[in-house]
Amino acid sequence: MDLELTAEDRAFRDKVRAWLDENRPRKKLETMEERKAWHRKMYEAGYIGMGWPKAYGGQEARPMEQAIVGAEMARVGAPPPMNGLGIGIVGPTIIHHGTEDQKNEFIQKILSAEDLWCQLYSEPNAGSDLASLRTRAERDGDEFVVNGQKVWTSGGMTADWGILLARTDPAAPKHQGITCFLVNMHSPGVEVRPLKQISGSSEFCEVFFDNVRVSADNVVGEMNRGWQIAQTTLSYERGGDLLSRVTRLQATFSRLLEVAQKLERNGRPAIEDPLVRQRLGQIYSEVEVLRYSALRLLSKLEKGQRPGPEASISKLYYSELDKRAQELMQEILGPFGQLMTGIPADLARASEEEGEGSSWAYQFVWSRAGTIYAGSNEIQKNIIGERVLGLPKEVRADRQALKAQAAGK
Amino acid sequence: MDFEFSEEQGMLRDVTREFLTEQCGPDHARKMFDDPLGYDPKIYRRMAELGLLGLTFPEQYGGTGLGNVDLAIVMEEMGRVAYPGPYFCGVVLAGGLITASGDENAMARYLPGIATGEMTATVALLEDALDWGPGGIQLAAKKSGDGYQLNGVKRVVSFGNSVDTIIVVARDGSGDGEDGITLFAVPRETAGLKAEATDTLDMNEKVATLTFENVTVPAENVIGQVGAGWKAVAATLLRAQVAASAEMLGASRKALEMSVDYAKVREQFGQAIGSFQAIKHRLAEMLEAAENATAAVYYAAWALDADAPDAALAASVAKSTLNEASRMITGQAIQIHGGIGYTWEYDLHLYWKRAKHLEPLYGDTAYHRERALQEVLAGRVAG
Repeated sequence: MDLELTAEDRAFRDKVRAWLDENRPRKKLETMEERKAWHRKMYEAGYIGMGWPKAYGGQEARPMEQAIVGAEMARVGAPPPMNGLGIGIVGPTIIHHGTEDQKNEFIQKILSAEDLWCQLYSEPNAGSDLASLRTRAERDGDEFVVNGQKVWTSGGMTADWGILLARTDPAAPKHQGITCFLVNMHSPGVEVRPLKQISGSSEFCEVFFDNVRVSADNVVGEMNRGWQIAQTTLSYERGGDLLSRVTRLQATFSRLLEVAQKLERNGRPAIEDPLVRQRLGQIYSEVEVLRYSALRLLSKLEKGQRPGPEASISKLYYSELDKRAQELMQEILGPFGQLMTGIPADLARASEEEGEGSSWAYQFVWSRAGTIYAGSNEIQKNIIGERVLGLPKEVRADRQALKAQAAGK
Repeated sequence: MDFEFSEEQGMLRDVTREFLTEQCGPDHARKMFDDPLGYDPKIYRRMAELGLLGLTFPEQYGGTGLGNVDLAIVMEEMGRVAYPGPYFCGVVLAGGLITASGDENAMARYLPGIATGEMTATVALLEDALDWGPGGIQLAAKKSGDGYQLNGVKRVVSFGNSVDTIIVVARDGSGDGEDGITLFAVPRETAGLKAEATDTLDMNEKVATLTFENVTVPAENVIGQVGAGWKAVAATLLRAQVAASAEMLGASRKALEMSVDYAKVREQFGQAIGSFQAIKHRLAEMLEAAENATAAVYYAAWALDADAPDAALAASVAKSTLNEASRMITGQAIQIHGGIGYTWEYDLHLYWKRAKHLEPLYGDTAYHRERALQEVLAGRVAG
């Protein structure tokens, strides 16, 4: 065991730090053009698609290098790059399952964020039970005609393209009649409506398809094998995520400490209140545990191990930790913690960013999303229980129905 | 950056597990419940042959010179069997304290014996006050002729009724707080020292109340410098926090494994109870806690070995994490087993009680959250 960064990694960290110091925008990026320009700058410096194969414009960087970039960006509050979904999921899917034409047409524009992508998976009646999706794609000559509705589509308003799961064989068992498509979001018949979240902002949307025509050339992989493609999606972007979360939480904690020294509670600075101190000690300790776990995971990735279902354990911990930490912060800040505007100067802000996203209240609201998105924590616990611990699957009404159907045939 | 065990460390774990599983299974632990000594000296001596007793001692004093990561590996295995015996108190506490004192004479005098198992030892720290700082040390050591006279009471002394040598942490009157604390090696068979065995929740952990009434100790039995003993105690407490966390981790892992196995075979309503989300999700949460706990224990052990700036912070994080995780995991294990888990015959309570035994020792959760905050405020965090 040796948990220090190697000399090589330290040198890389210093290089990234210096680059960010010189190049990161110092003011909030307002327009899409400003955000794309920042993304391009990072892309040209080699900090986008770091884990991607070199043949497709990536760097084939080690997980530790990816983690260092993520952590260094979080350290200085640099604006995030764009197209996370395209780079994280769509690109790798096309590289693994796509045709040469698809690779030529899409891959480079994904990395450079020339095309922005969204994911069209969830539906109003297909959330955790994604395979019960009903959006239809019917063959019509060289094209498919898509009808249906998607929901919780992050970045739907700005996306140029979407990766879609649609039902192509309604007669087949539900996991076997789904096909994966690449859909131009500017096609006639696509309507995107923003959904207002409990934070008041609109990061995700619902998307309606009304006789949208998609070329058969845009089918990814085999017909009716879309479920398998979605299940085995490989991501090259690994390991960077957890450490940058740790860094962000640590930055928030530092601000909380400053606030606790200034905020008076019951006749003394909050930092002198033993109950406040207990909460501060708990938050910091739990963030440290996330840091240790992130290092442990990184070490496995560096050795070429691929933690599969174990990734569910990380997701479970960081999302629950974030909720717990935000609740504890609210307990320390009282009603001031809920202010979205007019926050007393001494209570500072929760983060370096400008705008509403920097308030304690906004971060508190945002913490509720983590246990739901990317597979709810209940689903994660099923995955851990069944695929890591080897517990038997639960009896499910839809499986019973399938069996009955098969028996009747 | 490498978070994995070396090949040698993997072997250490395998050898220790094999030995403890064979020699110290639940039947052995149960046999020790009512044993007046509380452990089997033959098994204890055999640990010397495996190199477990002198694991962390300097090589010139009969040890192997290994570090806290290696010690944590062994302690995790001890926790898996809820080992009954004076390993923690002799190797981690007494051996650790003597080593930390830097007193070469004392090391030469005591460590080789502890490493071979010929001498058993413990540390008498806690008194009437629940205080892990120097303020809790009130047992009086008064200069008397060429030596000292000890008067006072020590409580919850691990294997205090059976070990050969007791390292007593005493106040010598030369100062307050961290000053004026001196360490004395006192043979258990000494006039005026009364060792009274007490029963505690964990029946494999024999603890005693020691009463010192004009106990005379020669000056040569002082360990380290007179009046300057606290520094070694503080260093030993850090190591004890991590070692105890590792032992709690082992107990938790064992309880989790038993629960997963049980949930796969126990059927109700015509199916294995592990298929129910009420059970499956609980087991997933237990695994999550165990994985985080593993990262916390071994990070803290590494930080001590590397003399990292955040070593004290990491020790506190590990202990508060394991206090909560082991309580949850071993407790939920009983819940998942239902009535059978609450029976004396079933082994789960061995691990649950070992975890509970260690929870308040060397600092409870609130103590360590406060300590962690103090370390952060002092800027002693990872570089």
